[in-house]
Amino acid sequence: MAEAAVLDPVVSVTPVRRDKGVLLTVLSLAVLMVSLVLAVRIGVAASWPEIGRSLGARLGLPVVPLPRLLDSLIWDLRLPRVLLAALVGAALAVCGAALQSITRNSLADPYLLGVSSGASTGAVVVVVLGFAGSQLGVTGGALAGALGAFGLLMLLLRRTGLDSVRIVLTGVVVGQLFAALTSLILLSSGDADSIRALTTWLLGSLASARWTSVVVCAVVLAVGLLVVWLCSSALDGFAFGADTASSLGVDVRTTRTVLLVTTSVLTAVAVAAVGAVGFVGLIVPHGVRFLVGPLHRRLVPLSAVVGAVFLVWTDALTRVMFSPLEVPVGVFTALLGVPLFLLVLRRKGEL
Amino acid sequence: MSHPARLGLALVAVLTAGCATPGGAETPQAQVQVESCGRQLSFTGTPRRAVALDQSSTETLLALGMQDRMAGTANLKTKVSPQYADAYAKIPVLSPKILTSEPLRAANPDVVVSGFKDLFTADRAGTRDELEALGVPTFVSAVNCPDGTTPPFERLFRDYENLGKIFGATERAKQLATEQREALAEVQAVKRDPVKVVWVYSVFKGAPYVAGRDGMPSQITKIAGATNIFDDLATEWPEASWEEIARRDPDVIVIGDLTERGNLGDKASEKLAMMREHPAISQLKALRDNKVIEINGTAMDPSVRTVDALRAFGAGLDEIAGRG
Repeated sequence: MAEAAVLDPVVSVTPVRRDKGVLLTVLSLAVLMVSLVLAVRIGVAASWPEIGRSLGARLGLPVVPLPRLLDSLIWDLRLPRVLLAALVGAALAVCGAALQSITRNSLADPYLLGVSSGASTGAVVVVVLGFAGSQLGVTGGALAGALGAFGLLMLLLRRTGLDSVRIVLTGVVVGQLFAALTSLILLSSGDADSIRALTTWLLGSLASARWTSVVVCAVVLAVGLLVVWLCSSALDGFAFGADTASSLGVDVRTTRTVLLVTTSVLTAVAVAAVGAVGFVGLIVPHGVRFLVGPLHRRLVPLSAVVGAVFLVWTDALTRVMFSPLEVPVGVFTALLGVPLFLLVLRRKGEL
Repeated sequence: MSHPARLGLALVAVLTAGCATPGGAETPQAQVQVESCGRQLSFTGTPRRAVALDQSSTETLLALGMQDRMAGTANLKTKVSPQYADAYAKIPVLSPKILTSEPLRAANPDVVVSGFKDLFTADRAGTRDELEALGVPTFVSAVNCPDGTTPPFERLFRDYENLGKIFGATERAKQLATEQREALAEVQAVKRDPVKVVWVYSVFKGAPYVAGRDGMPSQITKIAGATNIFDDLATEWPEASWEEIARRDPDVIVIGDLTERGNLGDKASEKLAMMREHPAISQLKALRDNKVIEINGTAMDPSVRTVDALRAFGAGLDEIAGRG
């Protein structure tokens, strides 16, 4: 049934399935909202009345304002952190779904094309040069590195037909190049401290989340998600190879370029904000595909919501599990994700 | 439009509204003004809820008798110095490792004291800008903030003076600095041969970490009238090779004892055994004549304890010289 749908992407969704789709979307959005609200409560301090007072005071309600530091804990730290987790989770899952189709590779994840290696090179350059003190320095360096790696990738791909194997191999080569550069810089001028800082950063942490990164990620995600979603039918076609897509009327080269640029910018912004959180971009799209089938019109938005919910809860867990220590969230995405994924795999029986 | 896209727009709307944080910082009449690593800190009263972000800041505040004015400590690398153990037990430990911004703000501090400016980043304690915007001054040790002219011990004493001013304990701070200055003068007063010294702080994955020019040991060596053989390396604890140590042929070897830290290979005896087995190092005259001084490694880093390392180093050199 799914294959038939792919071959005729315009009129394939029957009314019954559409109802199911709408129900699923509404349900998942409701879960996301509840998760966001609950996650704000999880962690040190911040009881419900305190959260209420913090928000109430900002909405101009007649409540007694909180002490300044407690208020900033909730408003300046916790709230942006929860929202950023949702945004990054959504961005990574969407990128994973899109790249898995573009490259026709079920092992594709947002970091396949070397963007995160470029980000870590940028970050380590900033750390070694001694600007680690300012968070903007590391974030800016990571963003510059990520975009640099992507620029190199596009440069190497500029005269080719952008076929999937070439994209994957060029991406892997670019990634290896930047990984080698990172090691070289670390070994030649890094000390124990910068290596430690980089390791933590590589595994990903949402501890540095602030409103600025939330706003940037929100804007980029909104645009990126829209672009990927509008390319849904092309993505459906790509899953069967460039020729099939082409025969379905997709301008393969242009669409692939647009999607590569979009996913890379999304990934670059996400990695620069929180580091390379693993697992979400690889597994969430597969899990969602089991639930709703391979049609990207449904897969893309639902992956976004599931990725968001997943990272919000994983991050909430990292806040409390070893409190007051912060464990990199990347550790928990895998620890929590593996059993969840195996559960879905078991229920569905086959890939 | 799809639901997620709508959600995205809604988020943006909420967030842009959220960015307009109500400000209105009042600037009351400040009583104490202190300069700390590039920032002017103002205090209207003496702090009652100080948080120390690391061991050396904690020990400095305890040496000034501030245990009742501390709301928390963090990041204790080894055990607190025995003389402060009782006072330390009264203070809540906010985090055994690096403190992050949420528990710090939950502790409601009125000043944050740190030995290292690197602890003030968004993913650690929060930036100095953020905390100061919330009315919490951030004190960074002058030792971590070299100006290129003042030697590290003088910067350490400047910390005592500044913290004394902030906490209204100028007398105690002055006394602490005077005691430590006397110890410096005592060690400096003895006339010694200008021996070549290597400080081996720790051995990590087979490679020794030695004292470079920028740490306390370099100045300690100078005060005692000796030379540090790695003074050409402009870092605190550079990684050296055993071969390079052998080539520079030190007269005396100082070994950091980090038993308190408790990792494998942290004991001075373990490091010594390793050196005696090393083909090149074991042939060094210093090692064959047992010209080895063991000093508590924690005291080699800048803190109120550094003066102990200085005394131990002076005594060790005198003991070796006394052997003839």
